[in-house]
Amino acid sequence: MAEAPIIELTNIVKSFGPVSVLKGVNLRAYPGKVTALVGDNGAGKSTLIKGLAGVQPYDSGEVRFAGEAVHLHSPREASRLGIEVVYQDLALCDNLDIVQNMFLGREELGFGTFDEGLMEREAAETLRQLSVRTVSSVRQKVSSLSGGQRQTVAIARSVLKKAKVVVLDEPTAALGVAQTEQVLELVGRLAEQGVAVILISHNLADVFAVADYISVLYLGQMVASVKAEDTNRDDIVGYITGSKTYNGVQA
Amino acid sequence: MTQTQTPPGAVTFDSSEPSATRRVVTSTAFMIAIVVTVLILLFGVLSPNGVFLSAGNFRNLALDSAQLILLAVGMTFLVGAGELDLSIGANVILSSVVAAKVITFVGGTPEEILAGDYSNAATAILLGFLAAVVTGVLFGIVNAALVNMLRVSSFIVTLAMMSAGSGIAYIVTGGINVSSLPREMQKGFGSADLFGIIPIPAVIAVVIGLVAWFAMTKLRFGVHTLGMGSSLRAAERAGINIRRQRVKLFVIMGGIAGLVGFIDISRFLTTNIQGHQGDALAAIAAVVIGGTSLFGGRASILGSMIAAIIPAILINGLVIMRVGSFYQLVVTGVILLIAVGIDQRRRAQSK
Repeated sequence: MAEAPIIELTNIVKSFGPVSVLKGVNLRAYPGKVTALVGDNGAGKSTLIKGLAGVQPYDSGEVRFAGEAVHLHSPREASRLGIEVVYQDLALCDNLDIVQNMFLGREELGFGTFDEGLMEREAAETLRQLSVRTVSSVRQKVSSLSGGQRQTVAIARSVLKKAKVVVLDEPTAALGVAQTEQVLELVGRLAEQGVAVILISHNLADVFAVADYISVLYLGQMVASVKAEDTNRDDIVGYITGSKTYNGVQA
Repeated sequence: MTQTQTPPGAVTFDSSEPSATRRVVTSTAFMIAIVVTVLILLFGVLSPNGVFLSAGNFRNLALDSAQLILLAVGMTFLVGAGELDLSIGANVILSSVVAAKVITFVGGTPEEILAGDYSNAATAILLGFLAAVVTGVLFGIVNAALVNMLRVSSFIVTLAMMSAGSGIAYIVTGGINVSSLPREMQKGFGSADLFGIIPIPAVIAVVIGLVAWFAMTKLRFGVHTLGMGSSLRAAERAGINIRRQRVKLFVIMGGIAGLVGFIDISRFLTTNIQGHQGDALAAIAAVVIGGTSLFGGRASILGSMIAAIIPAILINGLVIMRVGSFYQLVVTGVILLIAVGIDQRRRAQSK
């Protein structure tokens, strides 16, 4: 392994009352690489991600960020480190425009009032770096955007402040074929910029299209972490459903 | 946009909104301003000797609409944030009652007060003003705290507080209005004029309205308010402390209601515990007519301010024309329906 992981979870445990959801999970994500996190419903993907976002802290286990042990106990802490999550239901404000959405909660001020010019330039620059071509004006209201464009804005929002780790929760779930294609391209470009992308998806075609690594959660345990090029669809389906066991070295 | 520095193949973005003139002309505030102008001209033509258009009558209009403008400004923030406050009428009453009690308590002996001749008027009025605003703010804090703690919609919480608030006002006064307040507060504030023609309450309403407009459009406070109204979850995930924002919003509304309560007793020198029943709905009507979405996320302070003048114009105009002022309620209702109908249609087209 040439590069050190930017984020490394070791032996993560989380339970809700008597129900233990994560039973000692390990996960790594590398800068510039897409790590797909797959698993059936109830496998613990969301719980793992919520801990990473600082929304629901883990019960125990070690989180290393760029080699340093950290505690992710609040969303603010996670975003201070540069960990951003793009949720499945996007969480954009329909009535606000693209710039307002990208800067919501962290507006640039000059003399106490908005620095609209700066925000517009930064928003446009971020979209340009992601080679987004589908929106015409950064002052468009989000309500006028398509599903793919919204996903684009949500992703752009996550990298606006130089995020190091971006978690995408089912980014293509609600999209048509062409828009899925666009978003997957965007995921690739995100990684090209050195961001560690963690992609949660049920769609294995999407996963194999963009992922460098694939980690499979099964009933709260990470049953396989493999390089995408060293595996195939049937094996992954086997790991997800528990009908196959991975015997190789965890990548 | 200049293309000179852009490398070939790079993407450029248009950061321009529709042109300024286009935005102004198509805004709801502008359309409501036209309606208001038409109403004024209509009553001007119809009123005997054009008395409606006299300077004195404009002064009356300004004075009569000041309170509703203030309430509508506060309500614009709340509605823009997806909240409602139905209790502002009760808040106005309670604040005015507390202020009146403070003024009569501090102002002088019972005999002096009965004669309306206060020995200690200045201090009493100042303390009364503070009491009104503090009561209003506390009322707002209770509203916000209940919404935050019970996790119940503000509609229900403020409906309950409307009842509780006016009940407390009745208990404090025993159902009898506090009257014979010092005339100084009428002469010096409630009915006083700036430059001899512009009523002080109207000046206050406009100044607070402009400050509110600035906060809504240029400050974080405004965009966080609209973000909250647009999607509570998105606002929360963006790191906005929505509970604290809610407290701020209800505090602003409560403070304004307290101020309105003080203006009310300054104008009439008596509390009006039977009145103000329709204040909340009148304010919400003005807010919606002015272009704010009842579901939050979109708000226009200027639209609310202009729309809040309509009831005063109608009452005043109809009285001058010797038509019963009760028709005002009917006409306001019709305008509300037309405004919302037009707004819906335009929004459906723009999508």
